[in-house]
Amino acid sequence: MSNDILFLAEFAGGSPARSALELATGAAELASQSGGSAVALAYGPGAPDGAAALGAHGATRAIVLGDDDRPAIAYAAAVVSAARDGGLALLAPATPNGRDLAAALVGTLDLPAFGPVRAACFSEGTIETEQATLQGSVITTSRPVDGAATPSVVLVLANTFTPNEGGSGSAEVIQAPAAEDSAFAQVTVAESHEADAKVVNLEEATIIVAGGRGVASEDGFGPLRELASALGGAVGASRAAADAGWIPYQLQIGQTGKVVKPSLYIGAGISGAIQHRVGMQTAEHVVAINKDPDAPIGEFADLFVVGDLFQIIPALTDEIRRRKGA
Amino acid sequence: MKIVVCIKQVPATGADKRYAEDLRLDRAGVEAIINPLDEYAIEQALRLVDDGSVENVTYLSMGPEQASEALRRALAMGGDDAVLVTDPALAGADEWGTAKVLAAALDKLAPDVALMGMASDDARGSLVPGAVAAMRNLPLLSYGAELNVADDAARVRRLSATGYDWLSAPLPLVATVTDQVGEPRYASLKGIMAAKRKPMQTWSLSDIGLSAGDLRGAALTRVTDTRPPEEKPPTERIENLPAAEAATKIADWLTTRKLI
Repeated sequence: MSNDILFLAEFAGGSPARSALELATGAAELASQSGGSAVALAYGPGAPDGAAALGAHGATRAIVLGDDDRPAIAYAAAVVSAARDGGLALLAPATPNGRDLAAALVGTLDLPAFGPVRAACFSEGTIETEQATLQGSVITTSRPVDGAATPSVVLVLANTFTPNEGGSGSAEVIQAPAAEDSAFAQVTVAESHEADAKVVNLEEATIIVAGGRGVASEDGFGPLRELASALGGAVGASRAAADAGWIPYQLQIGQTGKVVKPSLYIGAGISGAIQHRVGMQTAEHVVAINKDPDAPIGEFADLFVVGDLFQIIPALTDEIRRRKGA
Repeated sequence: MKIVVCIKQVPATGADKRYAEDLRLDRAGVEAIINPLDEYAIEQALRLVDDGSVENVTYLSMGPEQASEALRRALAMGGDDAVLVTDPALAGADEWGTAKVLAAALDKLAPDVALMGMASDDARGSLVPGAVAAMRNLPLLSYGAELNVADDAARVRRLSATGYDWLSAPLPLVATVTDQVGEPRYASLKGIMAAKRKPMQTWSLSDIGLSAGDLRGAALTRVTDTRPPEEKPPTERIENLPAAEAATKIADWLTTRKLI
Protein backbone atom coordinates (compact mmCIF):
# COMPACT_ATOMS: atom_id res chain seq x y z
CA MET A 1 0.00 0.00 0.00
CA SER A 2 1.40 3.35 -0.98
CA ASN A 3 1.29 6.45 1.17
CA ASP A 4 0.05 8.54 -1.72
CA ILE A 5 -2.81 11.02 -1.59
CA LEU A 6 -5.03 10.91 -4.69
CA PHE A 7 -7.27 13.72 -5.87
CA LEU A 8 -9.85 14.20 -8.61
CA ALA A 9 -8.81 16.76 -11.23
CA GLU A 10 -11.71 17.68 -13.50
CA PHE A 11 -11.00 19.42 -16.80
CA ALA A 12 -13.53 21.26 -18.94
CA GLY A 13 -13.06 23.22 -22.13
CA GLY A 14 -9.34 22.52 -22.13
CA SER A 15 -8.53 23.79 -18.62
CA PRO A 16 -8.50 22.36 -15.11
CA ALA A 17 -11.34 23.38 -12.77
CA ARG A 18 -10.15 25.58 -9.93
CA SER A 19 -10.95 22.66 -7.59
CA ALA A 20 -8.20 20.66 -9.33
CA LEU A 21 -5.60 23.29 -8.40
CA GLU A 22 -6.89 23.57 -4.82
CA LEU A 23 -6.90 19.81 -4.34
CA ALA A 24 -3.40 19.50 -5.88
CA THR A 25 -2.12 21.79 -3.15
CA GLY A 26 -4.23 20.09 -0.48
CA ALA A 27 -3.09 16.63 -1.54
CA ALA A 28 0.56 17.79 -1.51
CA GLU A 29 0.08 19.09 2.06
CA LEU A 30 -1.39 15.77 3.20
CA ALA A 31 1.22 13.77 1.26
CA SER A 32 4.02 15.61 3.07
CA GLN A 33 2.43 14.38 6.32
CA SER A 34 1.87 10.80 5.12
CA GLY A 35 5.25 10.40 3.41
CA GLY A 36 3.81 9.86 -0.07
CA SER A 37 3.09 11.80 -3.24
CA ALA A 38 0.14 13.82 -4.49
CA VAL A 39 -1.38 11.99 -7.46
CA ALA A 40 -3.98 13.56 -9.78
CA LEU A 41 -6.73 11.50 -11.39
CA ALA A 42 -7.34 13.78 -14.37
CA TYR A 43 -10.36 13.49 -16.65
CA GLY A 44 -12.32 15.56 -19.15
CA PRO A 45 -11.52 17.67 -22.21
CA GLY A 46 -7.96 19.02 -21.91
CA ALA A 47 -6.76 16.52 -19.30
CA PRO A 48 -3.98 14.88 -21.39
CA ASP A 49 -2.30 18.18 -22.25
CA GLY A 50 -3.05 20.02 -19.02
CA ALA A 51 -2.28 17.32 -16.44
CA ALA A 52 1.49 17.94 -16.29
CA ALA A 53 0.88 21.57 -15.24
CA LEU A 54 -0.82 20.34 -12.03
CA GLY A 55 2.77 19.79 -10.89
CA ALA A 56 3.10 23.54 -10.38
CA HIS A 57 0.40 23.29 -7.70
CA GLY A 58 1.77 20.24 -5.92
CA ALA A 59 0.99 17.08 -7.92
CA THR A 60 3.89 14.64 -8.36
CA ARG A 61 2.09 12.36 -10.82
CA ALA A 62 -1.05 12.66 -12.91
CA ILE A 63 -2.98 9.65 -14.15
CA VAL A 64 -5.06 10.62 -17.18
CA LEU A 65 -8.37 8.72 -17.16
CA GLY A 66 -9.74 10.10 -20.42
CA ASP A 67 -10.44 13.30 -22.27
CA ASP A 68 -13.92 12.95 -23.71
CA ASP A 69 -16.94 14.97 -22.70
CA ARG A 70 -18.87 12.13 -21.05
CA PRO A 71 -20.81 12.80 -17.83
CA ALA A 72 -18.31 12.68 -14.96
CA ILE A 73 -19.97 9.55 -13.51
CA ALA A 74 -18.96 7.64 -16.63
CA TYR A 75 -15.35 7.88 -15.36
CA ALA A 76 -16.28 5.97 -12.19
CA ALA A 77 -14.71 2.66 -13.25
CA ALA A 78 -11.42 4.38 -14.09
CA VAL A 79 -11.39 6.16 -10.72
CA VAL A 80 -12.12 2.87 -8.93
CA SER A 81 -9.34 1.14 -10.79
CA ALA A 82 -6.80 3.86 -9.90
CA ALA A 83 -7.90 3.83 -6.25
CA ARG A 84 -7.51 0.05 -6.11
CA ASP A 85 -3.83 0.50 -6.89
CA GLY A 86 -3.22 2.28 -3.61
CA GLY A 87 -3.32 5.56 -1.76
CA LEU A 88 -4.27 6.51 1.77
CA ALA A 89 -6.87 9.12 0.89
CA LEU A 90 -8.67 10.44 -2.14
CA LEU A 91 -9.80 14.08 -2.20
CA ALA A 92 -12.89 14.92 -4.27
CA PRO A 93 -14.44 18.35 -4.75
CA ALA A 94 -17.79 18.73 -2.95
CA THR A 95 -19.54 19.43 -6.27
CA PRO A 96 -22.23 17.28 -7.93
CA ASN A 97 -19.64 15.58 -10.18
CA GLY A 98 -17.15 15.12 -7.34
CA ARG A 99 -19.82 13.65 -5.08
CA ASP A 100 -21.03 11.24 -7.77
CA LEU A 101 -17.54 9.85 -8.34
CA ALA A 102 -16.78 9.73 -4.60
CA ALA A 103 -20.02 7.84 -3.99
CA ALA A 104 -19.28 5.33 -6.75
CA LEU A 105 -15.92 4.70 -5.11
CA VAL A 106 -17.37 4.30 -1.61
CA GLY A 107 -19.99 1.84 -2.83
CA THR A 108 -17.69 -0.19 -5.06
CA LEU A 109 -14.73 -0.59 -2.71
CA ASP A 110 -16.49 -0.24 0.69
CA LEU A 111 -14.46 2.80 1.73
CA PRO A 112 -14.93 5.25 4.62
CA ALA A 113 -16.27 8.62 3.45
CA PHE A 114 -15.96 12.07 5.01
CA GLY A 115 -17.37 15.42 4.37
CA PRO A 116 -17.89 17.89 3.05
CA VAL A 117 -14.89 18.86 5.17
CA ARG A 118 -13.42 22.27 5.88
CA ALA A 119 -10.04 20.95 7.01
CA ALA A 120 -8.09 17.69 6.82
CA CYS A 121 -4.73 16.47 8.04
CA PHE A 122 -2.88 13.19 8.21
CA SER A 123 -1.84 11.94 11.65
CA GLU A 124 -1.29 8.65 13.48
CA GLY A 125 -1.56 6.72 10.24
CA THR A 126 -4.98 7.90 9.08
CA ILE A 127 -6.78 10.90 7.70
CA GLU A 128 -8.41 13.20 10.23
CA THR A 129 -11.13 15.55 9.00
CA GLU A 130 -13.01 18.48 10.39
CA GLN A 131 -16.61 19.11 9.40
CA ALA A 132 -19.25 21.68 10.33
CA THR A 133 -22.41 19.70 11.13
CA LEU A 134 -25.91 20.37 12.39
CA GLN A 135 -26.18 23.51 10.26
CA GLY A 136 -22.82 24.79 11.48
CA SER A 137 -23.65 24.61 15.18
CA VAL A 138 -21.07 21.87 15.90
CA ILE A 139 -17.59 21.13 14.55
CA THR A 140 -16.90 17.40 14.46
CA THR A 141 -13.58 15.64 14.01
CA SER A 142 -13.72 12.22 12.33
CA ARG A 143 -11.43 9.34 11.41
CA PRO A 144 -11.84 5.94 9.76
CA VAL A 145 -12.62 3.03 12.09
CA ASP A 146 -9.71 0.69 12.82
CA GLY A 147 -9.07 -1.67 9.94
CA ALA A 148 -11.09 0.30 7.37
CA ALA A 149 -9.94 -0.06 3.77
CA THR A 150 -8.10 2.73 1.98
CA PRO A 151 -8.18 5.21 0.38
CA SER A 152 -10.44 7.20 2.69
CA VAL A 153 -12.72 9.29 0.50
CA VAL A 154 -12.84 12.97 1.47
CA LEU A 155 -15.23 15.54 -0.01
CA VAL A 156 -13.58 18.95 0.17
CA LEU A 157 -15.39 22.30 0.11
CA ALA A 158 -14.24 24.90 -2.40
CA ASN A 159 -11.57 27.27 -1.06
CA THR A 160 -10.56 24.90 1.76
CA PHE A 161 -7.06 24.89 0.24
CA THR A 162 -5.43 27.84 -1.53
CA PRO A 163 -3.63 26.72 -4.69
CA ASN A 164 0.14 27.15 -4.65
CA GLU A 165 0.94 29.60 -7.39
CA GLY A 166 4.28 30.33 -8.97
CA GLY A 167 5.54 26.74 -8.78
CA SER A 168 7.35 25.44 -11.81
CA GLY A 169 7.13 21.69 -11.23
CA SER A 170 5.71 19.36 -13.81
CA ALA A 171 3.74 16.24 -12.88
CA GLU A 172 4.74 12.94 -14.45
CA VAL A 173 1.83 12.05 -16.75
CA ILE A 174 0.65 8.44 -16.92
CA GLN A 175 -2.07 7.18 -19.24
CA ALA A 176 -4.57 5.00 -17.32
CA PRO A 177 -5.26 1.56 -18.79
CA ALA A 178 -8.69 1.13 -20.37
CA ALA A 179 -11.24 0.86 -17.56
CA GLU A 180 -13.42 -2.18 -17.00
CA ASP A 181 -17.00 -2.05 -18.10
CA SER A 182 -19.35 -0.56 -15.54
CA ALA A 183 -23.03 0.28 -15.20
CA PHE A 184 -22.00 3.90 -14.64
CA ALA A 185 -20.63 4.07 -18.19
CA GLN A 186 -24.21 3.63 -19.46
CA VAL A 187 -25.03 7.21 -18.42
CA THR A 188 -24.93 9.41 -21.52
CA VAL A 189 -25.72 13.00 -22.43
CA ALA A 190 -28.85 12.77 -24.57
CA GLU A 191 -29.17 16.53 -25.13
CA SER A 192 -27.14 19.58 -24.19
CA HIS A 193 -28.56 23.11 -23.95
CA GLU A 194 -26.53 26.29 -23.51
CA ALA A 195 -27.93 29.17 -21.48
CA ASP A 196 -28.49 32.50 -23.25
CA ALA A 197 -26.04 34.35 -21.06
CA LYS A 198 -22.65 33.19 -19.87
CA VAL A 199 -22.69 32.18 -16.21
CA VAL A 200 -19.62 32.27 -14.01
CA ASN A 201 -18.60 29.46 -11.71
CA LEU A 202 -19.46 30.87 -8.29
CA GLU A 203 -17.29 28.32 -6.50
CA GLU A 204 -14.27 30.02 -8.03
CA ALA A 205 -15.20 33.58 -7.01
CA THR A 206 -13.32 35.20 -4.11
CA ILE A 207 -15.85 38.04 -3.80
CA ILE A 208 -19.60 37.43 -4.14
CA VAL A 209 -22.46 39.93 -4.10
CA ALA A 210 -25.65 37.92 -3.57
CA GLY A 211 -29.25 39.07 -3.90
CA GLY A 212 -32.47 37.66 -2.50
CA ARG A 213 -36.16 38.30 -2.39
CA GLY A 214 -35.49 41.96 -1.48
CA VAL A 215 -33.93 42.57 -4.88
CA ALA A 216 -37.50 42.25 -6.12
CA SER A 217 -36.94 41.78 -9.88
CA GLU A 218 -34.54 40.76 -12.62
CA ASP A 219 -33.65 44.44 -13.12
CA GLY A 220 -33.02 44.74 -9.39
CA PHE A 221 -29.84 42.70 -9.89
CA GLY A 222 -28.40 45.54 -12.03
CA PRO A 223 -26.97 47.51 -9.08
CA LEU A 224 -25.59 44.26 -7.59
CA ARG A 225 -23.75 43.52 -10.85
CA GLU A 226 -22.27 47.03 -10.79
CA LEU A 227 -21.03 46.51 -7.24
CA ALA A 228 -19.63 43.08 -8.07
CA SER A 229 -17.84 44.54 -11.07
CA ALA A 230 -16.35 47.38 -8.97
CA LEU A 231 -15.09 44.82 -6.43
CA GLY A 232 -13.87 42.34 -9.04
CA GLY A 233 -16.39 39.75 -7.86
CA ALA A 234 -19.37 37.74 -9.08
CA VAL A 235 -23.12 37.90 -8.50
CA GLY A 236 -24.96 35.13 -6.66
CA ALA A 237 -28.49 34.63 -5.36
CA SER A 238 -30.72 32.96 -2.83
CA ARG A 239 -33.14 30.25 -3.88
CA ALA A 240 -36.03 32.71 -3.76
CA ALA A 241 -34.39 34.86 -6.45
CA ALA A 242 -33.56 31.85 -8.63
CA ASP A 243 -37.08 30.40 -8.24
CA ALA A 244 -38.52 33.76 -9.28
CA GLY A 245 -36.53 33.49 -12.51
CA TRP A 246 -34.53 36.67 -11.83
CA ILE A 247 -31.21 34.85 -12.15
CA PRO A 248 -30.04 31.41 -13.43
CA TYR A 249 -30.01 28.48 -11.02
CA GLN A 250 -26.25 28.11 -11.61
CA LEU A 251 -25.86 31.21 -9.41
CA GLN A 252 -27.96 29.93 -6.51
CA ILE A 253 -26.10 29.67 -3.20
CA GLY A 254 -27.27 27.34 -0.46
CA GLN A 255 -28.18 23.80 0.50
CA THR A 256 -29.50 22.99 -2.96
CA GLY A 257 -27.21 25.34 -4.88
CA LYS A 258 -23.52 26.14 -4.65
CA VAL A 259 -21.59 25.98 -1.40
CA VAL A 260 -19.20 28.92 -1.54
CA LYS A 261 -16.34 30.07 0.65
CA PRO A 262 -15.30 33.50 -0.69
CA SER A 263 -13.11 35.96 1.18
CA LEU A 264 -15.99 38.46 1.02
CA TYR A 265 -19.72 37.73 0.77
CA ILE A 266 -22.17 40.63 0.55
CA GLY A 267 -25.81 39.63 0.91
CA ALA A 268 -28.42 42.15 -0.19
CA GLY A 269 -32.11 41.65 0.48
CA ILE A 270 -31.40 38.15 1.78
CA SER A 271 -33.04 37.19 5.06
CA GLY A 272 -30.52 34.47 5.89
CA ALA A 273 -32.67 31.35 6.16
CA ILE A 274 -30.77 28.24 7.26
CA GLN A 275 -30.92 26.75 3.75
CA HIS A 276 -29.01 29.76 2.39
CA ARG A 277 -26.71 29.99 5.39
CA VAL A 278 -25.28 26.49 4.93
CA GLY A 279 -24.11 27.57 1.47
CA MET A 280 -22.13 30.61 2.61
CA GLN A 281 -21.44 30.40 6.33
CA THR A 282 -17.76 29.65 5.83
CA ALA A 283 -17.15 32.92 3.94
CA GLU A 284 -14.32 34.79 5.63
CA HIS A 285 -16.20 38.10 5.82
CA VAL A 286 -19.96 38.45 5.66
CA VAL A 287 -21.66 41.81 5.03
CA ALA A 288 -25.46 41.97 4.97
CA ILE A 289 -27.66 44.80 3.74
CA ASN A 290 -31.32 44.46 4.64
CA LYS A 291 -34.13 46.84 5.45
CA ASP A 292 -35.44 44.51 8.15
CA PRO A 293 -33.43 45.15 11.35
CA ASP A 294 -34.52 41.71 12.64
CA ALA A 295 -33.48 39.65 9.59
CA PRO A 296 -31.77 36.40 10.73
CA ILE A 297 -28.69 37.24 8.62
CA GLY A 298 -28.02 40.05 11.12
CA GLU A 299 -27.28 37.40 13.74
CA PHE A 300 -24.31 35.90 11.92
CA ALA A 301 -23.06 38.64 9.59
CA ASP A 302 -19.82 40.38 10.53
CA LEU A 303 -21.26 43.70 9.38
CA PHE A 304 -25.01 44.27 9.25
CA VAL A 305 -26.26 47.37 7.44
CA VAL A 306 -29.92 48.21 8.00
CA GLY A 307 -31.29 50.18 5.07
CA ASP A 308 -32.53 50.25 1.49
CA LEU A 309 -30.23 48.23 -0.76
CA PHE A 310 -31.28 50.27 -3.80
CA GLN A 311 -29.83 53.40 -2.18
CA ILE A 312 -26.88 51.90 -0.35
CA ILE A 313 -25.48 49.63 -3.06
CA PRO A 314 -25.13 52.32 -5.77
CA ALA A 315 -23.55 54.66 -3.19
CA LEU A 316 -21.15 51.90 -2.14
CA THR A 317 -20.26 51.17 -5.76
CA ASP A 318 -19.42 54.85 -6.34
CA GLU A 319 -17.35 54.99 -3.17
CA ILE A 320 -15.39 51.85 -4.07
CA ARG A 321 -14.73 53.13 -7.60
CA ARG A 322 -13.55 56.45 -6.13
CA ARG A 323 -11.15 54.71 -3.73
CA LYS A 324 -9.83 52.47 -6.46
CA GLY A 325 -9.27 55.61 -8.56
CA ALA A 326 -11.38 54.34 -11.40
CA MET B 1 -43.27 0.71 -13.94
CA LYS B 2 -42.37 0.73 -10.26
CA ILE B 3 -40.54 3.38 -8.24
CA VAL B 4 -39.16 3.03 -4.73
CA VAL B 5 -38.62 6.40 -3.04
CA CYS B 6 -36.05 6.24 -0.25
CA ILE B 7 -36.77 8.66 2.57
CA LYS B 8 -34.98 9.56 5.76
CA GLN B 9 -36.43 10.82 8.98
CA VAL B 10 -34.38 13.74 10.28
CA PRO B 11 -34.57 16.18 13.18
CA ALA B 12 -36.72 19.21 12.28
CA THR B 13 -34.69 21.91 10.57
CA GLY B 14 -34.92 24.44 13.38
CA ALA B 15 -34.79 21.92 16.25
CA ASP B 16 -32.16 22.10 18.96
CA LYS B 17 -29.73 19.29 18.14
CA ARG B 18 -26.61 18.05 19.86
CA TYR B 19 -24.20 15.15 20.08
CA ALA B 20 -24.61 12.82 23.06
CA GLU B 21 -21.68 11.66 25.18
CA ASP B 22 -21.18 8.60 22.96
CA LEU B 23 -20.50 11.02 20.04
CA ARG B 24 -23.69 10.00 18.27
CA LEU B 25 -26.46 12.40 17.43
CA ASP B 26 -28.87 12.71 20.34
CA ARG B 27 -32.31 12.31 18.77
CA ALA B 28 -34.28 11.95 22.00
CA GLY B 29 -37.02 14.52 22.39
CA VAL B 30 -36.26 16.19 19.06
CA GLU B 31 -39.15 16.74 16.64
CA ALA B 32 -38.64 14.51 13.60
CA ILE B 33 -39.76 15.16 10.03
CA ILE B 34 -39.30 13.71 6.54
CA ASN B 35 -35.99 15.08 5.25
CA PRO B 36 -37.29 18.15 3.38
CA LEU B 37 -35.32 17.34 0.22
CA ASP B 38 -36.84 13.83 0.15
CA GLU B 39 -40.27 15.42 -0.23
CA TYR B 40 -39.23 16.54 -3.71
CA ALA B 41 -38.41 12.94 -4.61
CA ILE B 42 -41.85 11.92 -3.35
CA GLU B 43 -43.44 14.72 -5.39
CA GLN B 44 -41.53 13.67 -8.51
CA ALA B 45 -42.64 10.04 -8.12
CA LEU B 46 -46.27 11.03 -7.59
CA ARG B 47 -46.22 13.30 -10.65
CA LEU B 48 -45.08 10.32 -12.70
CA VAL B 49 -48.07 8.40 -11.32
CA ASP B 50 -50.35 11.35 -12.17
CA ASP B 51 -49.17 11.39 -15.79
CA GLY B 52 -49.57 7.63 -16.10
CA SER B 53 -45.95 6.65 -16.60
CA VAL B 54 -45.59 4.90 -13.22
CA GLU B 55 -48.01 2.39 -11.67
CA ASN B 56 -46.55 1.72 -8.26
CA VAL B 57 -44.77 3.82 -5.62
CA THR B 58 -43.23 2.19 -2.56
CA TYR B 59 -41.44 4.11 0.21
CA LEU B 60 -38.34 2.70 1.87
CA SER B 61 -36.66 4.01 4.99
CA MET B 62 -33.94 2.81 7.33
CA GLY B 63 -34.15 4.02 10.88
CA PRO B 64 -35.53 3.45 14.37
CA GLU B 65 -39.14 2.28 14.83
CA GLN B 66 -40.44 5.84 15.00
CA ALA B 67 -39.30 6.37 11.38
CA SER B 68 -42.57 4.62 10.50
CA GLU B 69 -44.21 8.01 11.21
CA ALA B 70 -42.25 9.51 8.30
CA LEU B 71 -43.35 6.65 6.06
CA ARG B 72 -46.97 7.13 7.11
CA ARG B 73 -46.72 10.83 6.28
CA ALA B 74 -45.30 10.01 2.85
CA LEU B 75 -48.18 7.57 2.25
CA ALA B 76 -50.58 10.38 3.10
CA MET B 77 -49.17 12.35 0.14
CA GLY B 78 -49.80 9.36 -2.17
CA GLY B 79 -48.23 6.08 -3.17
CA ASP B 80 -49.04 2.47 -2.36
CA ASP B 81 -47.02 0.89 0.41
CA ALA B 82 -43.94 1.24 2.60
CA VAL B 83 -41.07 -0.71 4.09
CA LEU B 84 -39.10 0.19 7.20
CA VAL B 85 -35.76 -1.51 7.79
CA THR B 86 -34.99 -1.34 11.47
CA ASP B 87 -32.50 -3.27 13.55
CA PRO B 88 -30.53 -2.54 16.72
CA ALA B 89 -27.34 -3.23 14.73
CA LEU B 90 -28.03 -0.14 12.61
CA ALA B 91 -27.65 2.49 15.33
CA GLY B 92 -24.90 4.93 14.39
CA ALA B 93 -24.84 3.91 10.72
CA ASP B 94 -22.76 6.19 8.48
CA GLU B 95 -23.30 6.81 4.76
CA TRP B 96 -21.62 3.55 3.78
CA GLY B 97 -23.69 1.54 6.30
CA THR B 98 -26.90 3.23 5.18
CA ALA B 99 -26.12 2.55 1.53
CA LYS B 100 -25.36 -1.12 2.31
CA VAL B 101 -28.77 -1.58 3.95
CA LEU B 102 -30.75 0.35 1.32
CA ALA B 103 -28.98 -1.56 -1.47
CA ALA B 104 -29.94 -4.91 0.07
CA ALA B 105 -33.54 -3.81 0.61
CA LEU B 106 -33.74 -2.48 -2.96
CA ASP B 107 -32.40 -5.78 -4.31
CA LYS B 108 -35.43 -7.39 -2.70
CA LEU B 109 -37.92 -4.74 -3.90
CA ALA B 110 -36.39 -4.62 -7.41
CA PRO B 111 -37.87 -1.32 -8.63
CA ASP B 112 -37.28 0.16 -12.08
CA VAL B 113 -36.16 3.39 -10.43
CA ALA B 114 -34.85 3.85 -6.88
CA LEU B 115 -35.41 7.56 -6.30
CA MET B 116 -33.85 9.72 -3.58
CA GLY B 117 -33.54 13.36 -2.55
CA MET B 118 -30.34 15.19 -3.45
CA ALA B 119 -29.05 15.49 0.13
CA SER B 120 -30.13 15.02 3.70
CA ASP B 121 -30.62 17.93 6.04
CA ASP B 122 -28.46 16.45 8.77
CA ALA B 123 -25.46 14.93 6.96
CA ARG B 124 -25.09 16.60 3.55
CA GLY B 125 -22.52 14.28 2.02
CA SER B 126 -24.96 13.20 -0.72
CA LEU B 127 -23.05 9.94 -1.11
CA VAL B 128 -25.76 7.39 -0.34
CA PRO B 129 -27.47 7.33 -3.78
CA GLY B 130 -24.24 6.82 -5.74
CA ALA B 131 -22.98 4.24 -3.27
CA VAL B 132 -26.26 2.32 -3.53
CA ALA B 133 -25.96 2.39 -7.34
CA ALA B 134 -22.40 1.06 -7.13
CA MET B 135 -23.35 -1.71 -4.70
CA ARG B 136 -26.20 -2.78 -6.99
CA ASN B 137 -24.13 -2.28 -10.17
CA LEU B 138 -26.73 0.09 -11.65
CA PRO B 139 -26.42 3.44 -13.44
CA LEU B 140 -26.87 6.69 -11.48
CA LEU B 141 -28.80 9.69 -12.79
CA SER B 142 -28.25 12.39 -10.19
CA TYR B 143 -29.34 15.96 -9.41
CA GLY B 144 -32.31 15.95 -11.74
CA ALA B 145 -34.41 19.09 -11.91
CA GLU B 146 -36.91 16.75 -13.57
CA LEU B 147 -37.13 12.98 -14.11
CA ASN B 148 -38.81 11.21 -17.04
CA VAL B 149 -39.26 7.48 -17.47
CA ALA B 150 -40.00 5.57 -20.64
CA ASP B 151 -40.21 1.87 -21.48
CA ASP B 152 -36.62 0.93 -20.94
CA ALA B 153 -34.80 4.15 -19.99
CA ALA B 154 -35.00 7.20 -17.75
CA ARG B 155 -33.75 10.75 -18.23
CA VAL B 156 -32.98 13.63 -15.88
CA ARG B 157 -32.61 17.30 -16.70
CA ARG B 158 -29.49 18.41 -14.89
CA LEU B 159 -27.88 21.84 -14.60
CA SER B 160 -24.53 22.06 -16.38
CA ALA B 161 -21.89 24.74 -15.94
CA THR B 162 -23.39 26.77 -18.75
CA GLY B 163 -26.95 25.54 -19.22
CA TYR B 164 -28.52 22.15 -18.77
CA ASP B 165 -28.20 18.60 -20.08
CA TRP B 166 -30.61 15.71 -20.38
CA LEU B 167 -28.77 12.65 -19.04
CA SER B 168 -30.10 9.23 -19.99
CA ALA B 169 -29.51 5.65 -18.82
CA PRO B 170 -31.20 2.26 -19.19
CA LEU B 171 -33.51 0.89 -16.48
CA PRO B 172 -33.24 -0.26 -13.76
CA LEU B 173 -31.29 2.57 -12.14
CA VAL B 174 -30.85 4.89 -9.16
CA ALA B 175 -31.84 8.57 -9.52
CA THR B 176 -31.85 11.70 -7.39
CA VAL B 177 -33.83 14.90 -7.86
CA THR B 178 -33.40 18.47 -6.60
CA ASP B 179 -35.84 21.00 -5.20
CA GLN B 180 -36.48 22.23 -8.75
CA VAL B 181 -38.98 19.45 -9.47
CA GLY B 182 -41.75 21.59 -7.98
CA GLU B 183 -43.30 22.15 -4.57
CA PRO B 184 -44.27 18.96 -2.73
CA ARG B 185 -48.00 18.47 -2.38
CA TYR B 186 -49.72 18.63 0.98
CA ALA B 187 -51.34 15.56 2.43
CA SER B 188 -55.12 15.98 2.27
CA LEU B 189 -57.35 14.81 5.09
CA LYS B 190 -58.55 12.06 2.75
CA GLY B 191 -54.92 11.16 2.08
CA ILE B 192 -54.13 10.98 5.77
CA MET B 193 -57.11 8.67 6.37
CA ALA B 194 -56.21 6.48 3.38
CA ALA B 195 -52.58 6.21 4.54
CA LYS B 196 -53.67 4.43 7.71
CA ARG B 197 -54.89 1.50 5.65
CA LYS B 198 -51.91 1.26 3.29
CA PRO B 199 -49.59 -1.71 3.90
CA MET B 200 -46.38 -1.11 5.83
CA GLN B 201 -43.84 -3.85 6.41
CA THR B 202 -41.02 -3.86 8.91
CA TRP B 203 -37.86 -5.72 7.95
CA SER B 204 -34.89 -6.63 10.10
CA LEU B 205 -31.37 -7.14 8.78
CA SER B 206 -31.94 -10.86 8.30
CA ASP B 207 -35.03 -10.12 6.16
CA ILE B 208 -32.75 -8.45 3.61
CA GLY B 209 -30.06 -11.10 3.79
CA LEU B 210 -27.53 -9.14 5.85
CA SER B 211 -25.92 -9.93 9.19
CA ALA B 212 -24.51 -7.52 11.75
CA GLY B 213 -21.11 -8.93 10.73
CA ASP B 214 -21.58 -7.80 7.12
CA LEU B 215 -22.14 -4.31 8.42
CA ARG B 216 -19.06 -4.09 10.66
CA GLY B 217 -20.81 -1.82 13.17
CA ALA B 218 -22.69 -0.10 10.31
CA ALA B 219 -19.98 2.54 9.98
CA LEU B 220 -16.50 2.85 8.50
CA THR B 221 -16.06 6.28 10.07
CA ARG B 222 -16.20 7.50 13.65
CA VAL B 223 -16.57 10.90 15.23
CA THR B 224 -13.62 11.37 17.59
CA ASP B 225 -14.41 14.83 18.92
CA THR B 226 -17.05 17.54 18.86
CA ARG B 227 -16.69 21.19 19.78
CA PRO B 228 -18.54 24.45 19.29
CA PRO B 229 -17.54 26.59 16.29
CA GLU B 230 -14.96 29.33 16.76
CA GLU B 231 -16.33 32.37 18.56
CA LYS B 232 -16.97 35.13 16.08
CA PRO B 233 -16.68 38.75 17.12
CA PRO B 234 -20.16 40.26 17.63
CA THR B 235 -21.90 41.65 14.55
CA GLU B 236 -21.16 45.31 13.88
CA ARG B 237 -24.26 47.26 12.89
CA ILE B 238 -24.76 50.34 10.73
CA GLU B 239 -28.23 51.80 11.20
CA ASN B 240 -30.17 55.00 10.70
CA LEU B 241 -27.63 56.61 8.38
CA PRO B 242 -28.15 58.26 4.99
CA ALA B 243 -27.04 55.99 2.15
CA ALA B 244 -23.89 57.95 1.34
CA GLU B 245 -22.68 57.85 4.94
CA ALA B 246 -23.53 54.18 5.29
CA ALA B 247 -21.60 53.51 2.06
CA THR B 248 -18.53 55.35 3.39
CA LYS B 249 -18.67 53.31 6.60
CA ILE B 250 -18.97 50.03 4.68
CA ALA B 251 -16.06 51.03 2.43
CA ASP B 252 -13.97 51.89 5.52
CA TRP B 253 -14.80 48.49 7.00
CA LEU B 254 -13.77 46.73 3.77
CA THR B 255 -10.59 48.82 3.44
CA THR B 256 -9.50 47.98 7.01
CA ARG B 257 -9.78 44.30 6.11
CA LYS B 258 -7.89 44.77 2.81
CA LEU B 259 -10.93 43.67 0.82
CA ILE B 260 -10.82 46.66 -1.52
